[in-house]
Amino acid sequence: MWRSDLPLGKDGSSRFLPWIVGAMVYLAALALAGVLAAGELVSGWRAELTGALTIELPQPVEATEADRQARLQRVLDVLTATPGVAHAEVLGPDAMAELIGPWLGPDATAADLPLPDLVAVELAGDATIDSAALTQRLTEAVPEARLDDHRDWLERAERLSWLVRMLAMLVLGFVSAAAALAVLFVTRTGLDIHREVIELVHLLGAPDRYIARQFQHHALAQGFVGGLLGLAAGAATITAIGWLAAVLGGGLVPLARLGWTDWAIIASLPVAAALVAMLTARIAVLRILGRSL
Amino acid sequence: MVLLEQVAVRYSDGPDILRDISFALAPGTLHFLVGPSGAGKSTLLRLLYLALKPSEGRLSLFGRNVAGLERRDLPPLRRRIGVVFQEFRLLDHLTAFDNVALPLRLAGVREAEIKKHVGELLDWVGLGDRLDSLPATLSGGQQQRVAIARAVIARPQLLLADEPTGNVDDRIALRLMYLFEELYKLGTTVLIATHNENLVARFPHHQLHLEGGRLALRPRLSAAAR
Repeated sequence: MWRSDLPLGKDGSSRFLPWIVGAMVYLAALALAGVLAAGELVSGWRAELTGALTIELPQPVEATEADRQARLQRVLDVLTATPGVAHAEVLGPDAMAELIGPWLGPDATAADLPLPDLVAVELAGDATIDSAALTQRLTEAVPEARLDDHRDWLERAERLSWLVRMLAMLVLGFVSAAAALAVLFVTRTGLDIHREVIELVHLLGAPDRYIARQFQHHALAQGFVGGLLGLAAGAATITAIGWLAAVLGGGLVPLARLGWTDWAIIASLPVAAALVAMLTARIAVLRILGRSL
Repeated sequence: MVLLEQVAVRYSDGPDILRDISFALAPGTLHFLVGPSGAGKSTLLRLLYLALKPSEGRLSLFGRNVAGLERRDLPPLRRRIGVVFQEFRLLDHLTAFDNVALPLRLAGVREAEIKKHVGELLDWVGLGDRLDSLPATLSGGQQQRVAIARAVIARPQLLLADEPTGNVDDRIALRLMYLFEELYKLGTTVLIATHNENLVARFPHHQLHLEGGRLALRPRLSAAAR
């Protein structure tokens, strides 16, 4: 059991430290959850879209159903003749309704709208496709056919994810700096409040690092308690946001689920906060005492 | 052990609190530091327990010139000095036991030994039944005995006491003086600042008489101290 010779827990300033650290950890948890969710989302999209292609066939004006089917068949013929294509399927009315449902409501039907015909293509295993060559063969069969390998979209999503990560890191940096400043302020106040006791302990032969150890242990404990408070509030908020997004988003916003690893990273925040508090207190005490007689 | 040569102390640009102080204390000697209030006795003690540095002159402790000491050199030297402060300066949030144990803990002594020695010493000063008492619950005399026990527990080489018998009755005062005599006979250098003329008369030891910041009576510098 760690024993303190300085009455650090009894001054008013240190009583606020857990709450300040708690607020910082709360913000950090939200920022971190944002980063991790963005990463999970992009990873999910990448996994889903890697090895998948979409062929889009805009509906020609005044085309008959027979024309449409013939056009789709020519596309399917090209695809089945392409090495590496495992499966190609024309999206039926149900699949189309599922796609447009989140925007137009559950009653919308694809037949009422001039939507393009879509062909979903799955590639076999590790197969890669020469997109340019396939595009050429498709346009020879159906001039208006357009191949979408989702690369542009994924690149944009990854850029957005990177931006979100950078912003979150900035928030984390500010939050850490603010927490360190709060600890610095509390430590300085503590040194001031306990000046007489510290002078006495010095006169009894205590080195500066002994005083620093007392402050750093106190900051470690306070930081950890505050971190746990912030984590509890943060976890509740993240869970609530996830639940609200699922209920209110109705599939319009794709949901990113945090995995166990993500939660483990978020759960490590109190430890990180406690370590930041401890190190800040130690450095502050040693520097301030080093400047005194 | 202790050597002062033409030492002066002043705060900022104020007048000299101490001036032209020269004396030596040999190992295993007991001296009284006497003089009227405001003569500079407490300032001289502050110099000796390294709370102050001389403004002028040379102060040597344990053979080291204080002027040349780095901050990191002070703790080991201070652990060789026991101090009984006039206003006791006990740590209010610690029990009598923990106050007395503090110098031993700072010196890295094992808890089992601390328990034994602190218990014995507090018993000896008549506070064996008050180990767990906080200073606020002790009388002035009891606090003073705790302060003395804290000063001597680590067997310091130099013991500095500022009015150590000021708040105790004659019986306890005598007992404490016997303790100080015991320590100096064991080799500790003892310097006691006091107003108690009866005590000074009863125990014929060297005296340093301070008046107006100067030593009025200069003892010979002993060969051992030099």
